Amino acid sequence: MAKVELRNVTKAWDKATAVKDMSLVIEDGEFVSLLGPSGCGKSTTLLMLAGIYLPTKGDILFDGAIINEVEARERNVSIVFQSYALYPNMTALQNIMFPLRFQPNSRGEELAREMADLVQVGELLERKPSELSGGQQQRVALARALVKSPNLLLLDEPLSNLDASLRLTMRAEIKRITRKFNLTTVLVTHDQLEATTMSDRVIVMNEGQIQQIGTPESLYAQPNTLFVGSFIGSPPLNLIKGTVQNGRLNKDNLFLQIHDADGEITLGIRPENLVVAETGIPGEVSHVEPMGREVLTTVHTAFGELWFLEAGVQPRWEMGNQIKLNCQPENTLVFDRTGIRIQGAIAKFDT
Amino acid sequence: MNRQWKNHLDQLIFLGPACLLLAMFLLAPIVVNFLVAFTEMAQTIHFDNFPTTRQFEKLGKLDSDALFGFELRRSFFKALALSGTFVFFTLLFFNLSFALILALTTTAMPERLGSFFRAVWLLPRMSPSVVYGLLWLWVVDSSERGLFNQIWTFFGGETLNLRLDFSMAVIVVSNGLIGASLGMVIFTSAIRSIPIQLFHAARADGAGSFALIRYIILPALRWPISYITIYQALALLVSFEYIFLIMGPARQTMTMAMLSYTKTLAPQIGGGQYAYGAAIALILIVIGIIAALGMWRLTKMDRLLQRPRIEVR
Amino acid sequence: MTPDQVEENRTIKWQKAAIRSRRRRHWKLAALTIFLSVVSIPILLAYLWMITIAFTAKTGGVETATLWIAASILTPTLIIYAVIHNIEDLPNKRRWGWGLIGVGFAIGVVLLWDEFHLGNFRFMINPNLVEDIRGVATAGGQFPWVWEAFFNSLFLASVQTVIVVTVSSFAGYYLSRFAFTGRSLFLQSLLVLQAFPAITLVIPIFLIVYWVGLVNTIYAPILVITALELPFFIFIMKGFFDAVPWDIEMSAMTDGASRRQAFRMVILPQVRVGLIAVGVFAFIKGWEEYVFVTGLTTGQSYTVMSTYLYYVSEDVMGVDYGIVAAVAVLYLLPALLLYLACQKYLTQMTLGGVKG
Repeated sequence: MAKVELRNVTKAWDKATAVKDMSLVIEDGEFVSLLGPSGCGKSTTLLMLAGIYLPTKGDILFDGAIINEVEARERNVSIVFQSYALYPNMTALQNIMFPLRFQPNSRGEELAREMADLVQVGELLERKPSELSGGQQQRVALARALVKSPNLLLLDEPLSNLDASLRLTMRAEIKRITRKFNLTTVLVTHDQLEATTMSDRVIVMNEGQIQQIGTPESLYAQPNTLFVGSFIGSPPLNLIKGTVQNGRLNKDNLFLQIHDADGEITLGIRPENLVVAETGIPGEVSHVEPMGREVLTTVHTAFGELWFLEAGVQPRWEMGNQIKLNCQPENTLVFDRTGIRIQGAIAKFDT
Repeated sequence: MNRQWKNHLDQLIFLGPACLLLAMFLLAPIVVNFLVAFTEMAQTIHFDNFPTTRQFEKLGKLDSDALFGFELRRSFFKALALSGTFVFFTLLFFNLSFALILALTTTAMPERLGSFFRAVWLLPRMSPSVVYGLLWLWVVDSSERGLFNQIWTFFGGETLNLRLDFSMAVIVVSNGLIGASLGMVIFTSAIRSIPIQLFHAARADGAGSFALIRYIILPALRWPISYITIYQALALLVSFEYIFLIMGPARQTMTMAMLSYTKTLAPQIGGGQYAYGAAIALILIVIGIIAALGMWRLTKMDRLLQRPRIEVR
Repeated sequence: MTPDQVEENRTIKWQKAAIRSRRRRHWKLAALTIFLSVVSIPILLAYLWMITIAFTAKTGGVETATLWIAASILTPTLIIYAVIHNIEDLPNKRRWGWGLIGVGFAIGVVLLWDEFHLGNFRFMINPNLVEDIRGVATAGGQFPWVWEAFFNSLFLASVQTVIVVTVSSFAGYYLSRFAFTGRSLFLQSLLVLQAFPAITLVIPIFLIVYWVGLVNTIYAPILVITALELPFFIFIMKGFFDAVPWDIEMSAMTDGASRRQAFRMVILPQVRVGLIAVGVFAFIKGWEEYVFVTGLTTGQSYTVMSTYLYYVSEDVMGVDYGIVAAVAVLYLLPALLLYLACQKYLTQMTLGGVKG
């Protein structure tokens, strides 16, 4: 259990900078995710928290004390990797007991078995990693991480190698366990669904820098940048690019009223906020995708390809239908030329 | 009909040259050696007195009272003992232990520094054998000009004649430096192929350097270590080039391989006793074949026998 | 304890841990570097000797002072260089490094300028070297000229390389792509042959060479060395061919190329790396060969660099170390340069590798 802080942390390798001036506070017992595309620096940040990498600049603090130079084994942190990183020549039980070798602990095996039962691999303890399935290895890795009651639990894309149904189960498992032990947890992932379903807060990263920190809901509804808006949410944000002149975005005799914004902008609208109406942007249905619970319809308009979601199993529209799309002004997001959200700006669909 | 001919032509073109060279210089010699060992061939290169076991009688004689049923002649027994000592100590101290130490130490330090030291240790192997031999001759020169003696006398010792008094040490170390470099390269690449996350996880689990070596590195090196042991033991047993260049035909370092070489083909010294040399070589060849078959068993064969892509001709 | 005291204790605990970790890190690196330096010094010293003597020794003596001066300049330079590169926060490491090398070089030049001369390399220009030194011709007739040996070595190494690369590529390709009866047996025999120590066959190989009539020619070692290296190199080339995707070949063949044309135009470029690696290795082996050059001759018929160096050292050693060292440097340089130039390829080889 520890409160973790990063203050202006930078990590540079010879020519490239992986993490640029990152500042972050993680409260004791909080579950946060570092979310971003590959190469954005999230794994590097994780390994700096672990003590494997030394920050080039800046400080890392545990409970208010600077611990930059403290090596991994003194920090009492645990890591679970995407590849599970189980020691191939040891049995599952030996793997789980491994951290306890370096601590004076008389209850070693007993504790290990407890942990194994907690993650439900109690029956598999005599097997070697090569004799376990992916999901089973994952659980053993988790047990190994928990057995020494770490200050901080670090998860580096732990679910990426699992199939969909297993992923669902493990998400719940991990959440249950971290809550049970009130573990401060940092999850690194590129899957925005994983991040948003498991975390108290999400930190979106791109190219070594923090784009936005917030709860999953606030990131979804109020993205600060175009990057965050596009990254979070699936299917992704509809984007309309254009230049505002005299409060209007023009395209082929159609215009949208843009309030409180000027110049080059990008307009973002969530697919579920776009509805078919009597008035609005006209277009022709180009593609219909039934997705089980809802239907994704793509429409070709003067402002580009727009898609919207409708609940229901049966598609309402067919290819070639001419329809009009509209949206509540408060559900529109306006981003400026550099991708930063213009707070307060909205768009009205009046043709 | 046409296709069949074309296939055979292809085989001839692609495999022919290789087969010819291999047959002539690898397979045929084994047979020839076998035959010659049972003759009395000497300088005149005639198959004199075939077949005879005269050469083998020079090595030892059958004696039902002796252990194993035969007794070795002193000179050959000495050669055998020297071979054994030489191989054992070089292998243990240099080819294995030191190679391991070099691999472990150079991978535990920043990459540039590690590569530098590995490059230094590859120098002996990369140098032509005559150059390496020459350097050793300078180092062990018995006057004060020898590099070793310069340092030795600087610390208060007297000039030593290493070649005379410490001949076994000289050949062990000189061959060892060469042998260590091969093991170092193989162990290093084995260590490098361990997924880095295993190290990260172990570090976080609390492992220090020694624990890392014991639990992560050594288990991963089990196969390379056995492979190097057998392969290098064999190589040391049959090697004579460096021994010859540094020690010449000295009696104290007359291992079996040296014996065979100096009696036959050594420049300026070789006496042309081909049959005798062949007899000793035969023993080495038999050991070589057994070891080669053993290693063949050990290597993972399926990788190499990957089914070929094109069945259609 | 008050909350403040608890917090202070915790901070102290972490600070102690940081100090421990830092100390451990530094001691570990220091210990490793010192150990490796100590064991590597003998090797470096010997080669340094060779270079120094080649450029400074004069006939009749071996001054070792120059060696120690050179060593005492080189050692601190290297140590400081290593330290510079390992200090974490130093900016502009590169510039410091080069500056240091410059300083070291300058000191070396100042101290050793008087001693430096190229006289030892006169063997390159003076064909009657031995007579000049000893006053008599060497036993056995006219001493060969270094350039004759040099070009013989070049010839041997080059021809052998061309043959090896060609033969092993052909065989490797066929084994990789074609199925034929006995393929498995062939591959397994190659594996056994590769593990077998071919040096044991020197004597019968000599006899065979004698019977074929190639004894005392330079073609004998060319063919023999090629043959002995073949199992290893065939496997290497086969490995490279295996790695070329089948689709490329297939599309070439559907585009109308015959199998042989496909091989030449499409596949070969893909295995370039393998060809280079095999070529470099083979060349170096041919350049260095001593046993099969001397062993397959009866008496002195042709010289290559290895035998030249051997004879020079026999005739001239004890009188003029300098010349011997100079010859050695000339002999060593091409191999070393080749190795350095092709480092990347070589590491790929040893992974599968047995020899190397």
